[in-house]
Amino acid sequence: MQELAFSFADQILIYAIFAMSLNLLLGYTGQVSVAHAAFGAVGGYTVAYLFLHGHTSLVGDVAAGVGVAVLIGLVIAVPALRLTTEWLILLTLAVQTIIIMLTTTVNALGGSYGLQNITGLTVGKTVLSDPSQFIWPIGISAVVTYFICWRMGESPFGRVLRGIREDEIATRSLGKNVFLYKLTVFGVTSGMAGLAGAMLVLNAQIASPQDFGFEKSSAMVAMVIIGGAGNLFGSVLGVILLGALEPLLNRVLHLSPDQSAIWSLIAYGIVLIVILMVRPVGILPDSVTRRLRKLQRVQDRERRAATGSGSQAASVPVAPVVKSGAVATNGASKNGHANGNGSIDVKPAVEPGDLGDVELPRALGIVEHAAADSPIVLETSGITKRFGGITAAENLAITLRKGTITALVGPNGAGKTTVFNLITGAIKPDSGSVKLLGREVVGLTPDEVTRLGMVRSYQTVRIFPRLSALENVMLGIQHQPGERLTAIFFRPITTQRFEKEARARAIEWLSFVGMEKYKDVPAGALAFGQQKLVALARVLATEAEVLLLDEPASGIDVAWVDAMLGLIEQVRERGRTVCIVEHNLHVVERLADYTYFMELGRITAQGNFAELTADPRLAEAYFGTV
Amino acid sequence: MTLAGLLQQIVIGLDKGTTYALLGVGFALIIGVSGRFHIAYAVSFTLAAFVASWATTLWNLPFWPSLVLGALAAALFGVLIEKFVYYPLSRIALRNGTNALLMIFVASLGISISGRNLIQLVATARAAASIGGFDNEPVNVGPYITLTTLQIASFVTSWVLIGILSVVLARTTLGRMIRAVRANWEMSLCVGVSPQIIYLVVFAIGSAFGGVAAVFIATGTSAKPDMGLVPMFYALVVAFVAGLGTPPLTVGLIGLALGMVESLSALFLPTQWTSVVVFAILLVYVAMRPVQLGDRIKKMLASAPKPGLAKG
Repeated sequence: MQELAFSFADQILIYAIFAMSLNLLLGYTGQVSVAHAAFGAVGGYTVAYLFLHGHTSLVGDVAAGVGVAVLIGLVIAVPALRLTTEWLILLTLAVQTIIIMLTTTVNALGGSYGLQNITGLTVGKTVLSDPSQFIWPIGISAVVTYFICWRMGESPFGRVLRGIREDEIATRSLGKNVFLYKLTVFGVTSGMAGLAGAMLVLNAQIASPQDFGFEKSSAMVAMVIIGGAGNLFGSVLGVILLGALEPLLNRVLHLSPDQSAIWSLIAYGIVLIVILMVRPVGILPDSVTRRLRKLQRVQDRERRAATGSGSQAASVPVAPVVKSGAVATNGASKNGHANGNGSIDVKPAVEPGDLGDVELPRALGIVEHAAADSPIVLETSGITKRFGGITAAENLAITLRKGTITALVGPNGAGKTTVFNLITGAIKPDSGSVKLLGREVVGLTPDEVTRLGMVRSYQTVRIFPRLSALENVMLGIQHQPGERLTAIFFRPITTQRFEKEARARAIEWLSFVGMEKYKDVPAGALAFGQQKLVALARVLATEAEVLLLDEPASGIDVAWVDAMLGLIEQVRERGRTVCIVEHNLHVVERLADYTYFMELGRITAQGNFAELTADPRLAEAYFGTV
Repeated sequence: MTLAGLLQQIVIGLDKGTTYALLGVGFALIIGVSGRFHIAYAVSFTLAAFVASWATTLWNLPFWPSLVLGALAAALFGVLIEKFVYYPLSRIALRNGTNALLMIFVASLGISISGRNLIQLVATARAAASIGGFDNEPVNVGPYITLTTLQIASFVTSWVLIGILSVVLARTTLGRMIRAVRANWEMSLCVGVSPQIIYLVVFAIGSAFGGVAAVFIATGTSAKPDMGLVPMFYALVVAFVAGLGTPPLTVGLIGLALGMVESLSALFLPTQWTSVVVFAILLVYVAMRPVQLGDRIKKMLASAPKPGLAKG
C-alpha cells in the first residue's frame, strides 16, 4: 500500500515536471507544443542508452539527457519562432511523430519494445530500487523545475514572455529581442521535458515508446489547460486531478481490471470536456483572470445598486463599455460569434482640461520650445519599397527636428503607416537610408531601433490585453536587469531593486496620462480611448528620443481628443521629437510644426500647415472636389 | 528493382494516395471553414468502419448501403460534436477571453479518448470487426499490374466524391455560402448566412468523407478501435500542406502525391521508414514555409488584426 502511494507520487511528480515546463512555454509564452512528451523521450532514451553503453554516473547520464533535449529543442525552435499557433501545433506534431517513429524503427533504440533493464542505479552506495527511494531524485528535479519556472515566469523576464504571448510585434517594438526570449524558453522547457523523461525511464526501468506518444503529449496540454494556463500550481493540480482519475474510478466503481482501464479513459475524456465548460479559465486561473473576475463582481454590485435607486440611475454618467471578450488573447475569437456578455464599465480616466498642472515625470527634462532650425534627429533619404508591382514608398526624404512635431498627412493608402514600418525596421526598404541620431538604422530589427531611441505606437493600439495597465507600461521601460536570464537567477537583489524603481516610473507615466487609477485593471478591459492613453504611456516609458505616433487621436471620444493632444504638446515641450500620422486636419493644425503631404507612396508637398492647406490641388487630393 | 515491382508500388501509391486525398479533403473542409482543430476526426473515422461492419455482419445488409450507413454515422457524430461541444466551447472561450483554438483542441482530445474507448467497449461486446458483402477479386491489367476490385471501387468512389464536392463548392449557392463563411464569418452574418449552420454542414460532409475512406480501409483489413489516429495525422498533413482555403481537387491531388511519395520511397528505404518520410516532408514543409510576405503586410496594415486560423 505504502509502495503504491510512493509510486503514485513518483508518477505525479514526473508529470508535474512535464506540465510546469509546458506551462512556461504555453501558458506564459503562448507557444503551443504537442511534442513535449517527445522531448521527454529524447532525455529518457539518452539516459537509457548511456546506462546500457558506457554508464558513468546517475547525475552525468541525466545531465547528458537534458543536454541533448535542450539541443534538439533549440534546433526545433528556429523554424518554430515565426509560426502562428496552428502551424506550431502542426510542426510540433511532426516532430513528435518523427521522434517516436525513430525510437521504434532504429534498432539501437530497441524498436517497439524499447530499451529494457535500466536497473541497479546507484547514488553513492545506495542502490535505487523501490519507489520510496526514487522519490528523492524525482522530487528534487520537480522542486528545481518549479523554482526555475516560477523565477522565469513571475519576474520581469516573465512579463516579457507574457507580452510575447499577447502581441509579439508590440513586444518587439518596445525593444525586446523576441527571438532570443522564445529561443531561451524553447531550450529551457525542452531540457525540463528531457529531465522528466529521464526520471520516467529511471523510475519505470525501461525506455518505451508508449510512454512518450502523441497521447501523452496532448494529455500534458490538457493538464496545463485544465489546471489553468499561466498558473504553475494549476499545472500541478491538473496533473494530480487527471492522474488520480483512473485509480479513483477503479476504487469507486469496483470494476474488473480489464474493464476499468476502458471505463476510466471514457470518463477521462468526459471530465476533460466538463471542466473546460465549467472552468474555462482552468481550475486555478492566472492572476489577470482573478483580477477581471473581481472587477466584474464589483461592477455587478454597483450596477444592482444603481438600478435599485430608480430614476436617479439615469443621471449617472454613461461610462465607456468594454466587452470582456476584448481581453481575448490573440487567436481567441475566431471560433465563436457570441457577444461578450459580462462587460466592464470603466469611467473616463481623463476629464478634459484637467491636465493643466500635471506633474511631468522627471525623465522629461524641460527644454525650450524648439524652433525650425533645431538639430536634426532623424533623417531619411531615398527610401523606396515595392510590393510586387505596387510602390508603397518612393524616394522618401523626411527630416525630424528635435523638440518638434512633424505630421504625415494624406489620403488613405498614401503609405503613411508604411513609412513608420520602413523606418523602424518592421519592413526593410529596397533602398535608401535612415539616420537616427547620426546612425544608419536600415537593416536593424525593430527592437534594435527602439533601443537606439526611436519607438512607435500603433493605430490599433496593440495593447497587451491580459496584462494590467501598469504591466503594459512597465514593459516599455528599457534596460531592466530582471529581463535577463542571468540576473533573475544570480542577481536577485538588483532585480528586485530595479523592479521597484521600474514600477514607480511606470506609475509616474500612468499618472502623466491620467490613468494611474486603473493601473491594476487588465488593459483589455479598458475603453479604447483609455487603451490609447496606456499605449501612449507605454511608448513614453521607453524614454526614446523619437516618438512615432500612428493616429494618436483616432477612434477616441471628442472629449478625450483634447486631453490627448495636450499630452503630446507637453511631450514636445520637454524636447522630445514627435512624428504623427493623422487624418484629422484639426489635430494636424494644432500640433504640427512641419507637415509632409503624401500621395501614393510619394511626398508631394511639404511645409507648414497653413501653406499646405492654401494649395487647392492638395485640398482636392485630400477631400476630393469641394 | 524490376519493372513489375515499380508498377506495383505505383498501384499501391495510387490506392494509399486516394485514401489520403479523401481524408485530407474532408479534414481541410472542416478545419478550413470552422477553424476547429478537430482531432476527434479519428473517432468519426473509426465509428464509420464499425457501423459498416455491424451493418454487414449483424444486420446482413449489402456492402454499399452499409458504406452509406457508416458515412452517415460519421457525419452525425461530427455534427453532434460541433453542436454540443465545439460551438458552446467557442462561446465560452469568447466570453472568458481564453484561447478558443486551444480549448477546442483539448476538448477534441477528450472526445478522441472517450470515443475510442467507448467504441472498444461496444466492439468487444459485439465481436464483429470485418466488413463483408464485398466481392474482392484480383484484376489483372496487362502482364505486370494486379489490381483488386476493392482498390478500383475505392478509387472511383473517392474521386467521384471529391469531384462532386468541387462542383458544389464552385457552382452552387451552398458552396458560395461555405466559401463566404470560410473567408469571413462575421461578414457572412451580415448577408444572412448563418456560420453556425454552415459549420454543421462542413462537419457533416467532412466527416462523411472520412467515413467512406474508413469503410474502404476496414474492408481490406478489419475495423479496429485505434484505427483512426494515424489516418487523422495524414488528413492533417494533407490539409495543411495543401492549404486550408484550397479547392478540393487540389487538396486531393496533394493527398495522391503524398501516397505516391510514401509508396515509392519503399523502393529506396526499408518499409518501416516510409511513414517517417511523410512526416519528414511535413516537417521540412512547415519549417521551410517561406514567411508569407503578403500575410505580414496585411497584418501590419490591417485596421483590426483578425486573430484565428490563417488561411493557407
